[in-house]
Amino acid sequence: MKKVLIVGSGISGLSCAIACAKSGMEVILASPFPSERSQSVMAAGGINAVLNGRAGGDSVSAHIEDTLKGGCNIAGKEAVSGLCTAAPQIIRWLEKLGTVFSINPDGSIAQRAFGGQSFNRTCYCGASTGKQIVTALVMEARRYEGAGMIKRRYWMDFYSALIKGGVCYGAVFYNEATADLEMIEADGVVIATGGQNALFGKTTGSTLCDGYAEGKLFMQGVELKNLEFIQYHPTTIETAQKRMLISEAVRGEGGRLFYVDGKNRVYFLEEKFGKKGNLMPRDVVARCIDETQKEVFLDITFLGKEEIIKRLGEVYDLCLKYRGIDISKQCIPVAPSVHFFMGGIAVKNNHETNIKNLYAIGECASIYHGANRLGGNSLLAAVYSGITAAKDISMSAGNGKCEDFGRQLDEERERLRTLRQSKSVFPVMYIRDMLAESMNKNLGISRSERKISQGIEDVTFFLSVADKIHYDNSEMAYLCYSLEGILTLAKATLLCAGERKESRGAHARMDYKEKKDEYAAATIISYDNGAYKIRYDRGDEYEH
Amino acid sequence: MTVGMNMNIKILRRREPGAEPYWQEFYYEKKEDQSVAGMLDELNYKDDLKDINGNPAPRIQWECSCLQGMCGGCAMVINGIPALACETFLRDMKGDRLILEPLKKFPVISDLVVDRGIIQDNLRDVNAYIGEYKKADTNEYEHMYAAAKCLKCGLCLEVCPNYGGGRRFFGALFANDCYLIAARSSVLDKKIKKEYNVHFAKGCSKSLSCVDVCPAKIPTLASIGKMNK
Repeated sequence: MKKVLIVGSGISGLSCAIACAKSGMEVILASPFPSERSQSVMAAGGINAVLNGRAGGDSVSAHIEDTLKGGCNIAGKEAVSGLCTAAPQIIRWLEKLGTVFSINPDGSIAQRAFGGQSFNRTCYCGASTGKQIVTALVMEARRYEGAGMIKRRYWMDFYSALIKGGVCYGAVFYNEATADLEMIEADGVVIATGGQNALFGKTTGSTLCDGYAEGKLFMQGVELKNLEFIQYHPTTIETAQKRMLISEAVRGEGGRLFYVDGKNRVYFLEEKFGKKGNLMPRDVVARCIDETQKEVFLDITFLGKEEIIKRLGEVYDLCLKYRGIDISKQCIPVAPSVHFFMGGIAVKNNHETNIKNLYAIGECASIYHGANRLGGNSLLAAVYSGITAAKDISMSAGNGKCEDFGRQLDEERERLRTLRQSKSVFPVMYIRDMLAESMNKNLGISRSERKISQGIEDVTFFLSVADKIHYDNSEMAYLCYSLEGILTLAKATLLCAGERKESRGAHARMDYKEKKDEYAAATIISYDNGAYKIRYDRGDEYEH
Repeated sequence: MTVGMNMNIKILRRREPGAEPYWQEFYYEKKEDQSVAGMLDELNYKDDLKDINGNPAPRIQWECSCLQGMCGGCAMVINGIPALACETFLRDMKGDRLILEPLKKFPVISDLVVDRGIIQDNLRDVNAYIGEYKKADTNEYEHMYAAAKCLKCGLCLEVCPNYGGGRRFFGALFANDCYLIAARSSVLDKKIKKEYNVHFAKGCSKSLSCVDVCPAKIPTLASIGKMNK
């Protein structure tokens, strides 16, 4: 029986595990914690699909067009077409697994408007769509867990992939329960570890998604793509412990953004783009807020308390609990913050990387969103990518013979043992905090050569000292060994941003404000023994 | 942010599974709007963490992911009450003393991190899944939506006088999953009812403490009511 190793158990990992098990493969689903802790549970807004006979004239081709346009035409047409075409079937599948979608009075699945879309196309589950999908997928995965087809492994932190001669044979993990490295071999390895939040410190997402797997795989020869495209969610609220997301659903329900000038409210987006100005794509709204240089507020009070609690209950609770703001009476102070990474591991349409039998799915893979992602497309991509990878693995030949990685494992064990024997009290989080400070300052919404160069200088310095400093050995082993991979990914991201001398989607350069045809392609970056190489995928190298 | 008096933070610690537990105390300058989770973060990122006697202390291990009450990772016992650290605010603490302990009904991995794997194991072993789907009555959607928000954080088990950590009584989270299955499974609805009787109904003494501590505010009583019909 073919064996598949999936690293990460959020929505993409679960979807892949279920699809693999359904087609008769044995699955190891490895993650530090259960699926309920994954970032997927935080996805608020919804999932896009054109459902038959609904949404007044919408079509799959319109969904494809909106997605490509939102991504500024650098996402692969075939890939996006596959995603949008499968969307209605995915919604029906999720419904049958028990996802509690919000419904219309006639019992049909309700849909609402989201930014950058021409129709009401976003299916949703109140304001906790991700959580509801996770609950349904966890239940379905149990069916195969009970039958022995899916084996969950908890306390497993990714360490590295087992790669030889351009082929992946498995992965190494740091097992927190045994405090030792463990090797798992497989015919197919699927990376589903989420976005690279830790590059920017505490973002709207989970602290568990840090980009280490991407960084480490990059150092092992895996190509990355479009790293410079980072989505700033336009509406987040400051709290004592982190910035929290105010769902796009608030604007979908009619929420209006404004700033105060003297005694007047200035609805700057409506002034600039007309009636639907508040629902412009996220990159446009974030940039417009940034440009006001003023405190911006989001007003939904006109909806009334009853409707707000019914349609946006989670947003109501969040503002009251963490800021003491009653959004039925007061406007919400908002500002943009890092939210989603369009860039990540470069994958072909079957979700395989440039390494044979190594796949990437969900947010850590870069394929559908181009230069900017539309709200409601990430949950869709998470499910679709998982199913697509599973399908490809089921048809692949597998590994046949296994390579001997025993010596490599012994060497890594020795490296880790040395790292853990440190007597220092220096917290590794210091470097992580300095990295976040530099990235937020130098790779924000508005970028320039000067800032990017400063960022590269900072990260190059952090990298030069990272392996010389001894870290506090009472800190989690993972935090210590993951630093080099995270820093390497940060440097690659800055280099990609510096190389793209134009403004496109979420990448806004103050020194190159226009979009240029010569950059109308995805950025691919590779790593070879310390050398970073950037090229543009003009020949649709990955689009097949 | 309002900055107030020095707080004394007392933590029940354990370096690794099976190691001897010990208490260690720390000073923290109270910020009213800070949560217990935010406070732990601040303590951990001090240059060198020292206890109230000035002795170097190992970093405090605790589990977190979302930091906003959506993932259930940071469940712990705070001043004797099981709660999520990210949703418990220092402004609500009486006095200047805060006692943190790991959940007691699960094996400790280190400090405030516990192994809650038994929750998933139990649900897997009784095949708690829908199988063949039948559309539920539209009147049930609100209740289903609420029940599906269960974080599997274990707070309901921690507070339950009937849950002893074993494989017999599965607690409130199981009752809610049973309801979700019974409402929509066309083949496993009767089977799950049997499992519910064995692993919940027979063992529940209806203290309903689970309802009070649930961070997702799940109407467990309504789930029990429907399953008992």
